[in-house]
Amino acid sequence: MSPFFVLIRKETYRFLTVPVQTIFGPMVTAFLYQLIFGSQFQHAQGSNVGFEYNTFLVPGLVMLQVLSNSFANSSSSIIQSKYTGNLVFILMAPLTAIELYGAYLISSIIRGILSGMAVFICIAWFGNLTWPHSWATVCYFLIFGSAITGGLGVIAGILSTKFDHLAASQTFVFTPLVYLAGVFYNVDNIKIPSLQIIAKLDPFLYVVDGFRHGLIHSFNSDVVFSIWFVGLFAVLINFIGYLLMRSGVNMKH
Amino acid sequence: MYILEIENVSKVYGTFSALENISFKIDAGDFVGLLGVNGAGKTTLISAISGINHFSGTIKVAGYDVITQEKLAKLSLGVVPQEIAFDPFLNVYQTLKFQSGLYGVQKNKEWIYEIMERMYLSDKANVKTKALSGGMKRRLMVAQALVHKPQVLILDEPTAGVDVEIRKNLWDFIKELNKKGHTILLTSHYLDEVEELCHKIIMIDKGKLVTQKTKADFISANEQLPTIVEIETQDGKFSDNLQSMIVNRIDNTYQLRLENNDQLLFVLNCLNAIEAKILNLNLNKPNLEDVFISYLKR
Ligand SMILES: Nc1ncnc2c1ncn2[C@@H]1O[C@H](COP(=O)(O)OP(=O)(O)O)[C@@H](O)[C@H]1O
Ligand SMILES: [Mg+2]
Repeated sequence: MSPFFVLIRKETYRFLTVPVQTIFGPMVTAFLYQLIFGSQFQHAQGSNVGFEYNTFLVPGLVMLQVLSNSFANSSSSIIQSKYTGNLVFILMAPLTAIELYGAYLISSIIRGILSGMAVFICIAWFGNLTWPHSWATVCYFLIFGSAITGGLGVIAGILSTKFDHLAASQTFVFTPLVYLAGVFYNVDNIKIPSLQIIAKLDPFLYVVDGFRHGLIHSFNSDVVFSIWFVGLFAVLINFIGYLLMRSGVNMKH
Repeated sequence: MYILEIENVSKVYGTFSALENISFKIDAGDFVGLLGVNGAGKTTLISAISGINHFSGTIKVAGYDVITQEKLAKLSLGVVPQEIAFDPFLNVYQTLKFQSGLYGVQKNKEWIYEIMERMYLSDKANVKTKALSGGMKRRLMVAQALVHKPQVLILDEPTAGVDVEIRKNLWDFIKELNKKGHTILLTSHYLDEVEELCHKIIMIDKGKLVTQKTKADFISANEQLPTIVEIETQDGKFSDNLQSMIVNRIDNTYQLRLENNDQLLFVLNCLNAIEAKILNLNLNKPNLEDVFISYLKR
């Protein structure tokens, strides 16, 4: 096995050793959201692009966990290794910047998708979901969605020099953007035009929308646009992340 | 062949110049001590060699440029960093197994067991690294640097916080590795260790290279250093002619400072003249520490 795969395996092992945080936690959270919001709004017909709210909610909650977990994986792994000093051993190892970056990214994608699957198993029956409308679309948004957040996680991990920085980026930037992205609601229902414009500028909206389309065949935005946007955005973010990794900023002196 | 080549290496932190145009070369198989007071720039230099610091200049490990042939250079190198580092998710064995994997080494279970044994970590194989004491963590770091049997082994104060007995065994192991052809570069606070182990001395101060010599040259080039002679006489009888040379007196033992070895004869003649009976005589040749301090004073 090449050093690149060894690092991926280790980064994967890292989150599998704490399944309470990385697998069961998301399951419980999603279950509670589904139970509470689902029962509260189950009759809010018409605003959910033609679906029962319970059905509408499932893809949102799955994607919420995919995005949060892939972000958490790379960002916390990097910041933690700065604290324990262990990053030095990774940087001294015979890995190029692209391999290093790729390993953090891929393990983040794996974590995102695994927690998404765990959540799906847990809540799918609420929405009477069985077979996805389009496997290809589902997989595309799972992979590229978590690639965006995995890449953002690497960037946040590299730039943060304290846990505080990371927590701030999570609380004030990442979480609001993900929650705004139509996880719980249909963005078209926002009645204030200026707010709606802001919501539509949220890149995660297209991840959630595209994924929802793939899973339940909803049509609240143009899926072709979402595919292009999410793909290009993922490439852009990861290119920036790679450049940061190569520069060694906040990792090498 | 030179196994380590440092050419015009400089390093600036902000506006502070931590290394200035350092150049030296190390022969394959050599055992080298890198000396310098705290803040001299030893760790900065080692970080540059190991690829965790930016620098200007050229560094080659086993002939490979650490920038342009990063992978090959890193594969030839094992480094024990000065700062304690560990992966809290792994136990001791996993740490070494993972470290091996990072260097593309597989099926090296026996070697891992051997280095755990030599580092006194065998009974900790399944213990999570965060539960290790400071000294154990440092020994694990030494083990980590050895998993891929690197041609060049660099140790940045590897014995800080390690018990005396284990420290000795650690050095025995490092000596064995050196005999097998591994090149060793070490920094240590314990000058006596460096003096005993190293064949060559490189000294830096305030980011500049001060001297590089074989240990013997390093010490003999300093023969002009004052020698301290201890003389114990019966009833503490001592010659007035020698008063100016006395630096210390404990009971009947006098410590004299000799500016050169010829003075010894003068001392003995003086004592002979007053018929003082010499019970004990000790000549303290300058050791590495004396030499080191004398260099810093220049
Ligand atoms: N990351 C850093 N930022 C700024 N200055 C540093 C940094 N690391 C080391 N220095 C400074 O560089 C000098 C050399 O440090 P170092 O290489 O650690 O010395 P040594 O290992 O010889 O004790 C010191 O003055 C130290 O304060
Ligand atoms: Mg140091």
